[in-house]
Amino acid sequence: MKRLLIVAAGILLICLGLATGSDALQKSSGDTGDKVLNLYNWGDYIDPALIAKFQKETGYHVNVETFDSNEAMYTKVQQGGTSYDITVPSDYMVAKMKQSHLLLPIDKSKLTGMNNYGSAYLNKSFDPGNKYSLPYFWGTLGIIYNDQYIKPGSIKHWNQLWNRKYRDQIMLIDSARDIMGMSLIADGNSVNITNTQQLLSAKNRLVRLSPNVKAIVADEIKMYMADGEAPLAVDWSGEAAEMMSQNSHLHYVVPTEGSNMWFDNLVIPKTAKHFKAIYKFLNFMSQPQNAAQNAEYIGYSTPNTAAYHLLPKATQADQQFYPKDSVLKRLQVYKNLSPQKVEQYNDLYLEFKMHH
Amino acid sequence: MNSKSSKFGRLYLIVIFLLLYIPIIYLIVYSFSTGTTMDNFHGFTLRHYQDLFADKRMLAIFLNTILIALLSSLISTVIGTIGAFNISNAKRRRTKQVLLSLNSILLVSPDVIIGASFLIFFTALSIPLGFWSVLLSHIAFEIPIVLLMVLPRLNEMSPSLINAAKDLGASQSQILSDIVIPFIQPGIISGFFMAITYSLDDFAVTFFVTGNGFTTLSVEIYSRARQGIDLEINALSGIMFIFSLILVVAYYFIEHQNQSGSSKKKRRLEERH
Repeated sequence: MKRLLIVAAGILLICLGLATGSDALQKSSGDTGDKVLNLYNWGDYIDPALIAKFQKETGYHVNVETFDSNEAMYTKVQQGGTSYDITVPSDYMVAKMKQSHLLLPIDKSKLTGMNNYGSAYLNKSFDPGNKYSLPYFWGTLGIIYNDQYIKPGSIKHWNQLWNRKYRDQIMLIDSARDIMGMSLIADGNSVNITNTQQLLSAKNRLVRLSPNVKAIVADEIKMYMADGEAPLAVDWSGEAAEMMSQNSHLHYVVPTEGSNMWFDNLVIPKTAKHFKAIYKFLNFMSQPQNAAQNAEYIGYSTPNTAAYHLLPKATQADQQFYPKDSVLKRLQVYKNLSPQKVEQYNDLYLEFKMHH
Repeated sequence: MNSKSSKFGRLYLIVIFLLLYIPIIYLIVYSFSTGTTMDNFHGFTLRHYQDLFADKRMLAIFLNTILIALLSSLISTVIGTIGAFNISNAKRRRTKQVLLSLNSILLVSPDVIIGASFLIFFTALSIPLGFWSVLLSHIAFEIPIVLLMVLPRLNEMSPSLINAAKDLGASQSQILSDIVIPFIQPGIISGFFMAITYSLDDFAVTFFVTGNGFTTLSVEIYSRARQGIDLEINALSGIMFIFSLILVVAYYFIEHQNQSGSSKKKRRLEERH
C-alpha cells in the first residue's frame, strides 16, 4: 500500500513537471494571454516559419489546431466548444457553412491585400462577392499519366479515357461529384447541371467507361500511382503534385475542354473572438512574399497573383498547376446543390460503381 | 520429440517477433535518412530530430500527450479499483452480473460514439474543450479497463483471508491496506499500464473533445497524414517507441520488486516460526 502511494506521488510529480514544461514551451513560442489567434487548419497546411514570423511581427500568439476533413471541421465549429477565429473550408463547405449561419462576413474595409488576388479566383458561385471568404489555395481535377506506358503529350481530352486501348488501365478517385462532373464535361455539360435527363446520360457515359476502369479508390490512389500500378488516373492537382514528387514518370494534365476548379478558403466562423488578430492575419497572408513562401512550402497553386509573380520561373511556367488562361476560363466551380440533387448525383454514381 | 517441438516453437516465436518489430525498426531507421520520403535511404542525418526539437508546438503536444496519459491513468486506476471493490462486494449475483455487463458495454462501444456523446455532453454543460475535457473523457474510457484488470484478482482472493484478519481484530482500513491492496496489487499495476496505452493511442474520442489549442499526438498525426507523413513524424515515433520501452522496463521492475518483496516477507515469517 505504502509503495503504491509512493509510486502515485511520483507520477503526480512527473505530471507537474510535464505540465510546467508544456506551459513553458507554449509561452516561449509566443505571448499567451488575450493576444491570441485560434487557427483551425488542415494538417500541415501552412508553413510553420510563417506562423513564427507572424507572431514576431504582431505579437499575437497563434494556436494551431488541425482537422482532416471538411465534415469533421464543420461538426466542431457547429458545436462551438472552441473559439476558432479562422478556419479553412473547401468551396462547397463555405456554401454549406454560410447556409447554416456559421460564418461571419469579412469586413473589406479592414483588408489591405485584396488587390493582390487574381480576378479569376474571386467572386465564385460558392461565395459571390467574397463576402465570407478569401481564397487560400486552389487546384483542379485532371488526368495523371505515366510516361512509361503513354506517349508524353498525347493526353489532352477527357474523351480519350474512353478509348478502347486503355482497357483496365484507369484509376478513379472515389468522389461522386468529381467523377460525375468529369463525365458531364465530357458530354459538354456544366458540372452543376440539375437536369435529370442529362445526369442520366452522364451516368450512361460512365458505364461505358467501366471496361477501362481498373479501380475506384480513395487516398491510396497516390501510393498506387507512385508505384506505377496503373498508367492513368483521375485525381486532384494537389494529390498529383505529391505523386509526381515520388515518381518522376508521372505527369498531370488539365483537359482542354475544362474541368472542375476547387478552392480552400480562409473564413471567420461565428465562434471567432479575436477580431484584431484575425484581420492582422488575413492581411499578413495576403502579402505577396508570405503567400509565395506558403505556396512553395505547400506546393499547391496560389490565388494570389502578386505572389505568383514571386515564385520561381519554373513553377510559374508549369501549366500543370498554373494552366493557360484559355483553360482557366473553362474551369468550373461546384455550386452547392439542393440535398435532393446531391442525392441524385450520389445515387447515379453508386449505380455506376455497382455496374463496375 | 520434445526438443524438436521446442525448436519449432522458438522459430515460430522468432518469426512472430520479426513481423511485429520490422515495421517499427524500418520506421526508426528512416528517421535518420537525409531524404524527405521513405522511398529509399540516402544517407545518415539527425536533421529530422533537430527539426522536431525546434518545433515547439510539436514538443508541447508530445508533453501534453504524456501528461494526459499518466494523469488520466492514475485517476482512472483509483476510481476503477474502488469500482472493482464495490462490484465484488455486491451481495446478489444478479446485481454483480448487471454491473459487469454495463462495464463491458462501455468497453465494446465504438470510440466514435463515445467521442460524439462527450462532445455533446461537454457543450451541453458548457465546459470549454481543452485539457480538462480531454482528461475527463480519457479517465472515463479507461475506468472499465482498469476494473476488468483488478476484478479477477479480487475474485481470486479467498474470503477466509479477510475473515481471519477480522478474527484477529483488524480494522476495516487495516484489512484494506495490509491484505486486500497488496493481494490485488499486480492487477492494479497492469490496469494502470493498460490505461496508459489506451490513452496514448486513442484518436476517435480525443478528436471530438480537443479544442482551444490543446491537442494530442494522435489527432495531430492523423490530420497530417492527409499530406503524406514527413520524416519528422518518424523521428517522433522513434522517441515514442523509446518512451514505451521505458514504461515496459518500469513495469518489469515494479513487478520484480513486488515478487522479491513478498518472498522476503515470507522468509521473515518463516524465520519467526
